[in-house]
Amino acid sequence: MLRIATAAILMGTTAFSLASEKPMTKQEIASAEKVEAITIPTGGEFFAAMDKASNPPWGQFVKVVSAPPSDSRERITLILGTLVADGYVAVEAQDGQSVKNVGKEILAHAKKLNLSQSVMGRAGSINDFADANDWNALREELEATQNEVKLDMNDQSDDRLITLVSLGAWVRGADIASGVVAGAYTPEAAKVLRQPAIVEYLIERVDALPENTRSDKLVAAVRTGLQEVLPLVSEENLSAGQVADLHARMAALYAIILGTASGS
Amino acid sequence: MKITLFAGLIFATLATAQEPAATPDDVGTRSKVLELAGAFSNDGYRIRDGFWTGDIEKGRPRFLEVNLFAGNEYWFCAAAAQSARKIAVSLFSADGKPADFQTYHDGPVAAAGAEPEISGKYFVKLELLEGDKSPFCLLYTYK
Repeated sequence: MLRIATAAILMGTTAFSLASEKPMTKQEIASAEKVEAITIPTGGEFFAAMDKASNPPWGQFVKVVSAPPSDSRERITLILGTLVADGYVAVEAQDGQSVKNVGKEILAHAKKLNLSQSVMGRAGSINDFADANDWNALREELEATQNEVKLDMNDQSDDRLITLVSLGAWVRGADIASGVVAGAYTPEAAKVLRQPAIVEYLIERVDALPENTRSDKLVAAVRTGLQEVLPLVSEENLSAGQVADLHARMAALYAIILGTASGS
Repeated sequence: MKITLFAGLIFATLATAQEPAATPDDVGTRSKVLELAGAFSNDGYRIRDGFWTGDIEKGRPRFLEVNLFAGNEYWFCAAAAQSARKIAVSLFSADGKPADFQTYHDGPVAAAGAEPEISGKYFVKLELLEGDKSPFCLLYTYK
């Protein structure tokens, strides 16, 4: 039950009501818009739900990987997305040093992509907030950093890379979250992993990329991986076995992005 | 203090978005929606750093696809210009049926709150109930 009474008091009003609405028509469903900054949730939102469902030992999932050097802008961008997800985990674990390490890696990857000083400034703020143990500010700063990176890519007419940031962040987020649930399965925690529309949206976005990006070996492999996990993340009630399967697939996809998978 | 923060957020967003120059109505709707969201943030909700903007007119509701997580609590907050005398926000499940949600109305400002039991796709409906065509701004908060 939403604690609307508190909110009502805060706003000095009781103008709340229970809603009654007619179902949407097929035309209305078809007309629904998608705005990435609203339609696709942040890692912070994902992990907040995980927190409520299972109170995970986040410290066990903190990992800051220095990826092997790569000249591929696609790989660098995907990794940058994964780092944002790692940042959220470090914040949930309240591990200031790991947050700073993630900030350093984000900075290094942003430099490789020639992103602007504004992104560099965000990375600096991450360090400052980590020093102050200001976890709420850090959550906001990570989201702002991700948005700043996308805005900068847009300004550089490199907007094909924007999709890859979201893709990397989702893959790593799902890898971590499925690992959390696989480690201590509960049906409630497994419910959080149900995200078919997000995966469908990411596949749509990859399919809309220019041909040379879409056919990039790494991007194509990640798209295939998304298509393979779609049935699993469409399940309303994932079993423990299905969660383990999902985690194995997401971990493999993450390794492909990092370039540490055998054969990648 | 809060007003200063909101103003900072508004102008930072408008400055970085590099969209066509914002009208006073655009700034006003963002200011109003941030003010409403701020009330929720005082109650532990986090404000998502993203906006949905456009125009609404009577008889032509707008719909937005969102993805929610079971267990989280959400408030979708919207504001329109004064010419929109009354707006409403509502929430529907992936198959278009009304979700279990609660509403808040205050003229050109409204919100819908929900705590979904199933993770996945939902639709937010924004409707002008009374008044003239107006720009709007919608954002959401969660905890």
